[in-house]
Amino acid sequence: MLDLQRVSKSYGRFRAVTSATFRLEPGEIAGLLGPNGAGKTTTIRMITGFLPPDQGSITVAGNDTVLDSLAARRLIGYLPESAPLYPEMTPASYLSFRARLYKLPAADRRPAVNRALDSCWLGDVANKRIGQLSKGYRQRVGLAAAILHDPRVLILDEPTNALDPTQVRETRRLIADLARDRVVLLSSHILAEVELVCSRVIVMVRGKIRADGPPARLIASAATTCRAEWVSPPDAADAIIAELRSLPGVRDVSSTQGQGGHTAATIESAAGAGAADLLDAIGRVLHARGARVTLLTRRDASLERLFVELVEQAADDREAA
Amino acid sequence: MAVLTIARRELASLFRLPVGWIAVALYLFLAGIVFAYLILVPGQPASLRPLFSISAWLLLPVAPAISMRLVSEELRSGTIEPLMTAPVSDGGVVLGKYLGVVGFLLIMLVPTLAHTAALWWLSDPRPDPGPIAAGYLSLVLVGMVYTAVGLWMSCLTANQTLAFLGTLFFLLVVLLATTIGFEYAPAWLQPVVAELSIQSRMQEFAKGVIDTSHIVYFLSAAALFVVLSVLTLESRRWR
Repeated sequence: MLDLQRVSKSYGRFRAVTSATFRLEPGEIAGLLGPNGAGKTTTIRMITGFLPPDQGSITVAGNDTVLDSLAARRLIGYLPESAPLYPEMTPASYLSFRARLYKLPAADRRPAVNRALDSCWLGDVANKRIGQLSKGYRQRVGLAAAILHDPRVLILDEPTNALDPTQVRETRRLIADLARDRVVLLSSHILAEVELVCSRVIVMVRGKIRADGPPARLIASAATTCRAEWVSPPDAADAIIAELRSLPGVRDVSSTQGQGGHTAATIESAAGAGAADLLDAIGRVLHARGARVTLLTRRDASLERLFVELVEQAADDREAA
Repeated sequence: MAVLTIARRELASLFRLPVGWIAVALYLFLAGIVFAYLILVPGQPASLRPLFSISAWLLLPVAPAISMRLVSEELRSGTIEPLMTAPVSDGGVVLGKYLGVVGFLLIMLVPTLAHTAALWWLSDPRPDPGPIAAGYLSLVLVGMVYTAVGLWMSCLTANQTLAFLGTLFFLLVVLLATTIGFEYAPAWLQPVVAELSIQSRMQEFAKGVIDTSHIVYFLSAAALFVVLSVLTLESRRWR
């Protein structure tokens, strides 16, 4: 449905996106994640036909976004970042303008506008000037404009920006509803939201796709952190830490020693290592060395952790290069 | 279809914003002064000629004011993004905006028909309708050129004030170069300068002469700047 093939884009000498490739099918809700300046918005702008890619190709249901731009654009509903709108218009007149731009037949225009107003809870402000509306309402007008023409592909740049918690929940439900028979690609910097809404996560860092898959699988591949605290003879602590360091899958151990033989250690496993096994192994080491365990716990991997890791990894790669 | 949709929105927006009303008021104020002091003079033959021959100057501050926001404002506020990702070609966007502002110009000229009516009512013998019709045609044509220049400047910057000043400066230079500048131009350049003159063509229209070459001149100048606007907007995608 939506297909990106080795898409690249530079602004002057700055490479905003490098060889991005992914394919989305109807029913998928994909979340595009990345730190600021990772190339999310540039990728979205290339998909929507606002910017042409320097290299590679993007097709929407077989229509190339450059060669067959108008046909591709007709299939896309797009909510740009911070929902730019004409302040002098009303939501109703703006939606009716958009309906004409998308060439909806005259008889379908009014029902489509009313449907979009209803779905985005805009009924009570339909005839107020957009300039007088709060940010949350404006965001919903932008969303209404994106879904107005019943697009096959929905591209939402930070859709829940500026919404209050109730509206965020309702918007998520709306997105899930809409995704049933179409492609949804949304970008967000709220990781919890992506984890909750998306069936697939694409992480971009410095213009490159660093991870792509269902959130659960990505999280499983991320590092786990364990924390252990124990009391042991002071000379035993160093040996314990050395042994923990040598456990399979452990990447790093940091520790602080307190008074009376108290030691606290944080054990980080490499990505992909079995989290449950690690906790077990740590327990065995402490037991074998005769330490009295006061705390042994695991902090599960999360999307946030994965995200931070990927960003750090990208920074390391850059230093190495 | 999409072109007309954009034109309609543009036209409606100009009426919803103070800048549109201020531009109309300014133009009617200037035209009113000309009418009261240069046209409505007892003992003088009834004619709107002074109004038309001076209109190249009267429209000078008005046209940039109504054209400055056409694209600049979309660039500044980001609304250009939903507009240029809708299934409309860049040419369609530009043409729609241009037709919208030309429509506004036409509506702006309607109240000046009151001058014509007043002259018709008050004078004896009645004024000759030929030069009046030709004069109005020249107003529309020169307005089309000015707003096309304004549209182009508006594509060049996201700053409305800059677009306004750029248009004003550009038109002022053209007007001055072809009037005062004409006298200082070397003999070989004078025919070229005369050819480019907006003022002298306006004078012809005011006399009641409708020459096709003048119409072609104004329309092709307008078309040139509309095409430049399309190219400028298109080039933004590739930057």
